Amino acid sequence: MSAALAVAAIAVAGCGDDDEDTESAKKVEPGAAEQAKGNVNWCIGKDTTGTFSKAVKEFSSQGQVKANLIELPAAADEQRTQLVQRLQAKSSECDVLGMDVIWTAEFAAQSWLQDVSDIVAERKDVWIPSTLETAKYEDKYWALPYNTNAGFVYYRTDQVQEPPDNWQAVYSEAAKGDGIVYQGARYEGLTVNFLELLYSAGGKVLSDDGKTVEIDSPEAVEVLKFMADGIEQGAAPKAVTTYMEEESRRAFESGGATFMRNWPYAYSLGKDSKIAEDFDITTFPKFGEGEGAGVLGGYDVAISAYSKNPDGAAAFAEFLTSPDWQKTIMTEASLPSTLTKTYDDPAVQKAFPFAVKLRTAVEQAQPRPVTPVYPQVSEAIFKNVHLALQGKMAPDEAIKTMKGDIDKALQTF
Amino acid sequence: MTAEAVPRSKSGTPARGAAGGPKGSGRGRQALLWLAVIAIMIFCLFPFYWLINTSLKTGPDLSSANLLPPNPSLKNYDSIFTDADFTTALRNSVIVASITTFFALLFGSFAGYALARLRFRFKFVILAIVLSISTFPPIAIAAPIFKLWTDTGLYDTLLGLIPPYLTFSLPLTIYILASFFKEIPRELEEAALVDGATHFQAFRKVVLPLAAPGFVTAGLLAFIEAWNQFLFAITLTSSPDARPVPAALAFFTGSQKFEVPLGTITAATVVITVPLVIVVLIFQKRIVAGLTAGAVKG
Amino acid sequence: MEAATVARPRRRGSGLSERRLAAAMVSPSMIVITLVAAYPIGYAIWLSLHEYSVRVPGLSRWSGLKNYDTALSSSEFWEALRNTFLFTGISVTIELVLGIAFALAMHQAFKGRAVLRATVLVPWAVLTFGSGLLWRSIFEPDLGFANSMLSALGLPGGDILWLGQEGYAMAVMICADIWKTAPFMALLLLAGLQVIPDDVYDAAKVDGASAWQRFLRITLPLLKPAILVALLFRTLDALRVFDLPFALTGGANGTNTLSLYAYQELTANRLVGLGSALSVLTFLIVMIVSFMYIRFVGGNIRGLADER
Repeated sequence: MSAALAVAAIAVAGCGDDDEDTESAKKVEPGAAEQAKGNVNWCIGKDTTGTFSKAVKEFSSQGQVKANLIELPAAADEQRTQLVQRLQAKSSECDVLGMDVIWTAEFAAQSWLQDVSDIVAERKDVWIPSTLETAKYEDKYWALPYNTNAGFVYYRTDQVQEPPDNWQAVYSEAAKGDGIVYQGARYEGLTVNFLELLYSAGGKVLSDDGKTVEIDSPEAVEVLKFMADGIEQGAAPKAVTTYMEEESRRAFESGGATFMRNWPYAYSLGKDSKIAEDFDITTFPKFGEGEGAGVLGGYDVAISAYSKNPDGAAAFAEFLTSPDWQKTIMTEASLPSTLTKTYDDPAVQKAFPFAVKLRTAVEQAQPRPVTPVYPQVSEAIFKNVHLALQGKMAPDEAIKTMKGDIDKALQTF
Repeated sequence: MTAEAVPRSKSGTPARGAAGGPKGSGRGRQALLWLAVIAIMIFCLFPFYWLINTSLKTGPDLSSANLLPPNPSLKNYDSIFTDADFTTALRNSVIVASITTFFALLFGSFAGYALARLRFRFKFVILAIVLSISTFPPIAIAAPIFKLWTDTGLYDTLLGLIPPYLTFSLPLTIYILASFFKEIPRELEEAALVDGATHFQAFRKVVLPLAAPGFVTAGLLAFIEAWNQFLFAITLTSSPDARPVPAALAFFTGSQKFEVPLGTITAATVVITVPLVIVVLIFQKRIVAGLTAGAVKG
Repeated sequence: MEAATVARPRRRGSGLSERRLAAAMVSPSMIVITLVAAYPIGYAIWLSLHEYSVRVPGLSRWSGLKNYDTALSSSEFWEALRNTFLFTGISVTIELVLGIAFALAMHQAFKGRAVLRATVLVPWAVLTFGSGLLWRSIFEPDLGFANSMLSALGLPGGDILWLGQEGYAMAVMICADIWKTAPFMALLLLAGLQVIPDDVYDAAKVDGASAWQRFLRITLPLLKPAILVALLFRTLDALRVFDLPFALTGGANGTNTLSLYAYQELTANRLVGLGSALSVLTFLIVMIVSFMYIRFVGGNIRGLADER
């Protein structure tokens, strides 16, 4: 059932057929999960809400397979470094991997993941379609979508009558009020913020097959200029170029901003703060004429190619993505589910008053560029966007440099 | 430049006595001296005190800058000691550092003796090699060792940590022990040799016992060096079973996405540091002697 | 101190000749060092001459000096180099000055010296990585001690994002290093002070030399050997700094150092060839500095190898 791993000896990157990278990956068959036994380790970031431990306990009590939680650092980047280190050492320590949605292509291309296309195919309809895109690479599925995330515009209800329906209006209202805060520091979060606007404007980073760069478009320049002007003209404070999620959340919660772009997690925290009564959220407005669009966050669960118990791992992954457990993570951990039906559940709607808005946001969100060299591509993006935001580079020059940097990234050997 | 940088000692020699004359006013000088001493003590102790202070705070207190914990509690310590990963890391560190120290002393005393006493060619070369190791940037060999250990199965094991740790503890150990050996009067060994002992027996029976204080110093310094190792700790281990304490500390920290667990981090740091501080204080004379051996002789 | 060398007595016992014994005694250490340092460095150089595919597992190709070219033409490398030297220059200088000042203060004969010496060892005993975390917490924006104190005292700077801005982050890193090491320097120098005989000073006082002159003409020159050795080790340590920037900022905001940069390329970016080239370059830089140093200071090290 599991083919032996063959090292692919292919000519230099950039060319080659579509499926060559992952031709000989291991595959896990559905149904194997049912006869599974033994132990599995689940490697995922810090269990800040306690639901991860609960999951392994619950799962272990249900059947033959015993699950065990191995916590990685809380920061996604550090989780990746930890997983990469183990996978490069071919360690069998982790059976089930908690994968940030942007790692799929990279890990799959390295043959670190098992092909779970058949497992996904069995239940394909239960998942929100956009979330499945994050688990796909080269037309195969490499993980089961576990939790998702999409950003919102938070706004002060005491300062804004009706949330504007396009970004331009948001910024001009912000300029008149206390401004908009978002994640503008020099990191992955900035890539997300930039892409949200870019996608709304109809722009793209890569072609659909991931092989050519399409960032050097008038839309991209327009979006970047819009963001840079926003800071220069005071719609967004200068400090925003040092903000990550927490800094922007704190700025908004302390009453220092009229608008904020952030993930859903800030909603419940905001309801506990001094502005509890005075804010609400809305899905992303459009940029100019286009449709509002977002960028998908979240985590998928994958099975390590070096796992000694892939069947047990599959069983656990199925458990994590089952309707019951998806409901639990949403109500108890505030992690948005990847299953469509979960959002209709009354208990979920009680915990998330904006549940349906959230599902809409997820449905209209898109994944970040799918490429095995995503880290380099992302750096090319946030590096140059940051320079433009700081006023150190003109937007059109920044986009041109960005194209050059992404080109180089795609040429990575 | 920084908020609390203490100004340099006010009684540096230049300020000796207001009058500046050879017999400068004793009182003025004394006062300045005391001021300097206090300044030094604050400089050294305050951050450490702050560490302990923070570790006794929980919840909202952590966000305040109170000099004394408003609600002192041992909760942070409790939570790190019940964290199996942390206690395992402590155990790992103790094991690896102890084994490293043992071998550092063993190999180091042999090499130190040879360098200090025996005549042989290439002595300077050997010495240069040994000293040059102490200038090696660990990063230069981290990736190769990672690859080697991955291929040989030593990755993620306590055993795998020992060779790199040993390599970086050896130079100082050799240097210190060699200096101590040199201090011992040659006549004693020569007497033994005249009596028919071999060089090695002279080493074992005459020199070693006399150099015992040097071993304490060298052992302590080797232990501290191994205890502090960070780069190898994070590169060569991944599972809690093999991870030493500095790497485990790196895991305590995390993103800015969630609350920074300042309480537990500082508690962990205190736990890791306090025993070391106590040991260092007990043996301070030896440590100072060891550190300065050779530096002064010039 | 040196006894006149006696004619070497005839060995009567059996046992290895001096040379063989020396070889035997030195070999365990040499073996460890060769295995763990020499061979890996060779391997690192080998790795640096290849490129390892980031996309395709197991694929590599010979690339000669290309990685070095990439490294030397990357702005990040030069920035890391600049940061490392800046950090080294400033922190070692301040540590030396403070170290001399502390040593002088500790040297003035008075009671309680043991306590002071103990106090001074405390920063050095704190786990290096732990001290990095400690300083990070002190300079946390809002919650940290530094900003709270500044605000409480009404001084400017209470809202500085210390670790979030270039320049300030480096300042914090230097501060952290000084805290940890200046006391250590002081100890090294104190021992040097202690061997200077009092009568030298007394003679100078009698001749009418002022305190400052005594310091310049007597103390400093006699302290020179100790200063030079302390400087050497501190400089080499500072050039290799890794734990501090890792703990404080992860290398952001102008604190990326040579070692940390090489580490990032190796682990986060998985560029084994480039990372190895950077590691080798770091190694070379440190070696060059140490060689240059030893040229000037060489006498001290040779002393150890000389027969007495």
